[in-house]
Amino acid sequence: MTGTATTTTSPTATSTNTLPVADRATVRRSLAELARAERRSVALALVLHVAAAAAGLAAPWLVGRIIDRVTAGATAAEVDELALVIAACVVAQILLWRTAQNVSNRLGERANARLREDFVARTLRLPISVVERAGTGDLATRSSVDVATVGNTVRQVVPIVLISVIQLLLIVAAVFALHPLLGVAILAGVPTTVAVARWYLRRAPQAYLAEGEAASQLTESLTATAEGARTVEALRLAGQRVRVGNARVERQWTTRRTTLALRTVFFPVVETGYALPAAAMLLAGGAFLANGWLTLGAVVAAALYSQQAIAPLDHIMMFMEQAQRGSASLARVLGIGLVPPEPRGVSCAPRGQQLLVRGARFSYAGGHDVLHGIDLEICPGERLAVVGPSGAGKSTLARLLAGIDAPREGVVSIGGIAVTDLDPAERRRRIALVTQEHHVFIGTLRDNLAFAAPGAGDDDMRAALAAVGADWYAALPDGLDTELGDGARQLNPADAQQLALARLVLADPHTLILDEATAALDPTTARRTERSLGAVLEGRTVIAIAHRLYTAHDADRVAVLENGRISELGSHDELVRAGGAYAALWRSWHGDKA
Amino acid sequence: MPPRLPHPDPGIPDTRGPGRYLWWLVRCQWPRALRGSVVATAWMIGLAVRPYLIARAIDDGLRTGDTRALLSWVAAIIAAGAVVAWLGIVRHRTMTFLREDATARSSQVLLGHVARLGAVLPRRVPAGEIATVCGTDISQASWALTMTGPGVGAVLSYAVAAVVLWAVDPMLAVFVLLGVPVVALAVGPLLNRLQGVDTAYRHELGILTARAGDIVSGLRVLAGVGGRDLFARRYAARSQRLLRQGYRVGDIMSWVQALTAGVPALFLAAVVWLSARMAAEGQITVGELVAVYGYVAILSTPVWFLLEGGFMTVRGVVAARRIIAVLRIQPDDSPGGAAPDGPAGLHDPQSGLTVPVGRMIGVAAEDPGDAIALADRLGRYAPSDVTWGGQAIAGLDPGAVRDRILVADHDSYLFAGTLRELLRAGGEHTDARLAAAIHAASADDVVESLPGGLDAPVEARGRNLSGGQRQRVRLAQHLLAEPEVLILIDPTSAVDSHTEARIADRLYEHRTGRTTVVLATSPLLLGRTDVVAYLRAGRVAAVGTHEELLHTEPGYRALVAREADEPETDAAEVGALR
Repeated sequence: MTGTATTTTSPTATSTNTLPVADRATVRRSLAELARAERRSVALALVLHVAAAAAGLAAPWLVGRIIDRVTAGATAAEVDELALVIAACVVAQILLWRTAQNVSNRLGERANARLREDFVARTLRLPISVVERAGTGDLATRSSVDVATVGNTVRQVVPIVLISVIQLLLIVAAVFALHPLLGVAILAGVPTTVAVARWYLRRAPQAYLAEGEAASQLTESLTATAEGARTVEALRLAGQRVRVGNARVERQWTTRRTTLALRTVFFPVVETGYALPAAAMLLAGGAFLANGWLTLGAVVAAALYSQQAIAPLDHIMMFMEQAQRGSASLARVLGIGLVPPEPRGVSCAPRGQQLLVRGARFSYAGGHDVLHGIDLEICPGERLAVVGPSGAGKSTLARLLAGIDAPREGVVSIGGIAVTDLDPAERRRRIALVTQEHHVFIGTLRDNLAFAAPGAGDDDMRAALAAVGADWYAALPDGLDTELGDGARQLNPADAQQLALARLVLADPHTLILDEATAALDPTTARRTERSLGAVLEGRTVIAIAHRLYTAHDADRVAVLENGRISELGSHDELVRAGGAYAALWRSWHGDKA
Repeated sequence: MPPRLPHPDPGIPDTRGPGRYLWWLVRCQWPRALRGSVVATAWMIGLAVRPYLIARAIDDGLRTGDTRALLSWVAAIIAAGAVVAWLGIVRHRTMTFLREDATARSSQVLLGHVARLGAVLPRRVPAGEIATVCGTDISQASWALTMTGPGVGAVLSYAVAAVVLWAVDPMLAVFVLLGVPVVALAVGPLLNRLQGVDTAYRHELGILTARAGDIVSGLRVLAGVGGRDLFARRYAARSQRLLRQGYRVGDIMSWVQALTAGVPALFLAAVVWLSARMAAEGQITVGELVAVYGYVAILSTPVWFLLEGGFMTVRGVVAARRIIAVLRIQPDDSPGGAAPDGPAGLHDPQSGLTVPVGRMIGVAAEDPGDAIALADRLGRYAPSDVTWGGQAIAGLDPGAVRDRILVADHDSYLFAGTLRELLRAGGEHTDARLAAAIHAASADDVVESLPGGLDAPVEARGRNLSGGQRQRVRLAQHLLAEPEVLILIDPTSAVDSHTEARIADRLYEHRTGRTTVVLATSPLLLGRTDVVAYLRAGRVAAVGTHEELLHTEPGYRALVAREADEPETDAAEVGALR
């Protein structure tokens, strides 16, 4: 079917309808909330990390002490004693560090779980019209790439950066304790490092994002060539595919050279900076030593501290960029929460099942009207077929009837209540929209059925499957417990469509809107599916958007939709007698038998 | 020297074994690999210079109170820092160039090979396998090349450190030189263990990510039928499982992290103790004591590089094995006989079908499987006795057959690109011909509805098009290829009757005078062909015009007009609406 051509299936057409991204204040608030909820663990982790880092400071200081003793002519026994203290400190550091790591790991895991569960819960509450307008691509990226990036950041990057910061602060504090002026000297490399880090961080996230994107584009291009191998051969596309692939290789190379150029500035400046504190320390130490303000051991300890500071500094530099990307992803993950959830609607139940459309007009986001004043009355139990050329507005009408969109003007009501005013859950119990999209969820066959009717037992499910003619069910190894979906057993399109229909049998709505439910299937499959459909339609009001005329032939009434208006309405026989567009089409379809 | 990528000619890979393949990647750029080894060695040795200089500054400057000596050693420290930083970045750039050269080369040979394999490929490897090879194996193979730089450098710098330490004290040298690798080897398995539990965690994480993606793709279904709360709960339950798994990983990981840092620190403490005793006994100077402390810290760099490099090489070999598995698949390009000079008739003995030259023939098959099998035989995709102009098609040059006979699959792949690129399918066409094909396929509204028209981007598999749009874009694409023989499989199954009627008319006009086979059961399409063959049980049961067959063949009538004489046979879909 082609009705969705003018609707919202194309993400490229909806750039104005993108999903929101959280601003800094929102991100900060969420982080503060997370920290508040975990304040005891946060405090414990901090205390343990500080203790572990403090234990790590002992070795250089003790080496300094050893040197002073040795210079003063100490014996081997004294040295042994101090060496033993060093070893004890290292053991203490190992134990403290391990505990600190464990506490912060668990903290990170919990924060992650909370973030991703919130994200999915909020995604599930999104109004479907918002999802369709924004396209599922963005949402899919957020659910995979962004959630993973946030997860990785929370799990690995944040702890390392935090620990490194603590270690650095303590090292600086230790040197200050040796002598305040030495403390100033150890900061010798700070200005250049900060300057180049700022320079780098302003450019890096963008560049690395581009690099990642280019890499996945190359992979995608290669994979597509493999998936479409037969088409490549049939249409003689080998040359073109190689050209496209080479262009992707070039793009990847360009993006990688950009990041390399950034590193070419960043790394040497930072690394050169690592030599400065040691040099400054020795110079200052030389002056103090001459004045007798310090012992040689203290100067050596300070020099060793300046070396010890390199590792945490390196970690911070390395992970800063990732932390930045993590916070960008977090803003996108939290952005979902900014979309107002689907309104709950009024709770009162409609009186009756009659669907009524009066003067309904509709346009998509600032575009032209797609429907120009539709009037339609559908009685309970009626079978109405809607036919018409592509782009006539058939699918849009279906969406209005199902309450997914509200008309810009006019009214669509059921039993006297506007369908969009109904509580969504209530609405779905009454009206179901069946499209050509069928989706098999990851999970067991039971999982795939249960959500349509939470109260249904195994027998109900089996009966529903039997009703739609899903005879493949008998061949499943584990019956209702058979795992389906991505990575497990794949159902072919016809079976998947039958599964969707079985859900409908379970959900048991009184009105069904079929929007080209079988159009994407190949003809054989479509035939099988249509047979299953019969069982579902029994005893319900049916509005069928159809591209096959035999559907229209068998309906109680046919509505011909052209350019957003109903041009003909009546039973099949009436319309054929009327000799309009429908009659002409019917004759050509029907061949010479008419 | 940055490489020029993509390679004008990636060369012919050595696929005799994974090691040979990796070696081929190195051999193609051996001067760069050599430069990498030299620079990496210099850099690693340079790392040991700072502890030495600090030691000299302490011994010659601080202890003796010699300000001039101190100043010159401090200047040397700063200069050495700059030189090492420079060596470091040259090493990093060289190794990046080395890896990128290899990545591009692997990508290009794979790309060329996959594009050349064509229809053979899906029969030999699943597409998911190719995705893994492209997504991870190529880069893992490239990372193995790191061994040529820092790997070589690590060995050489280790040797240099050995000499320097020997000069300080032989006993100490032996202790340090043996101790560092022992510590590294002791910690190595811990790292391995970490990798193991982390892999399990990532697997579980992958499942959870797939679940979230699954929910996103199924949102519309959930909106239609309900059940969102259930899915939120199911996801949360799985997420809690990952949380517990994460706790387990954290349990082990925290030990691994603490020990990988702690065990070397303990070793360092032992070295300090030994050398401090020596200093106390006057065997070495205080400066040397500090230098040894520094060397031990620095020595771990080459040893870690070797350890890392070892892992990388193992992974690289595994990756290379998977790459060459794809490269070893042989394409079906056996040279064959020359194809007929001009348009010639096709004949399929198995079904008894003869395709007349320059006409449009409809084929209505009772079983759609027969239709697809027939198309595969006529298009030389499957072994058969089909003849083309009297010659067995199996013996003809496959390239020549592909150039002239096009089997237009119902689900042929739509590659990402602009609509124009997609339609042109590699050929060059005037806008007029483009427009004519679009018109014939009744796809004008597809062009109009996309922002940017012909220049609008189409996603891979035409994901941003509806089913009907995809089908018409495919049809336009196949018409534009203008093959001598066009075999269309169900070209209008997903479009509405209005559009189908239009396509039937225009298709006939567009292909006038050229051989066209339409495999379909739609009366609108079959009514606009020169002749129709009715296939029952895989054999031609009757041949005639659509009208003739409607009158003479009840089976045909039942097949194409569906609602015909025997309501009980296929009335189900009709009854559906009755």
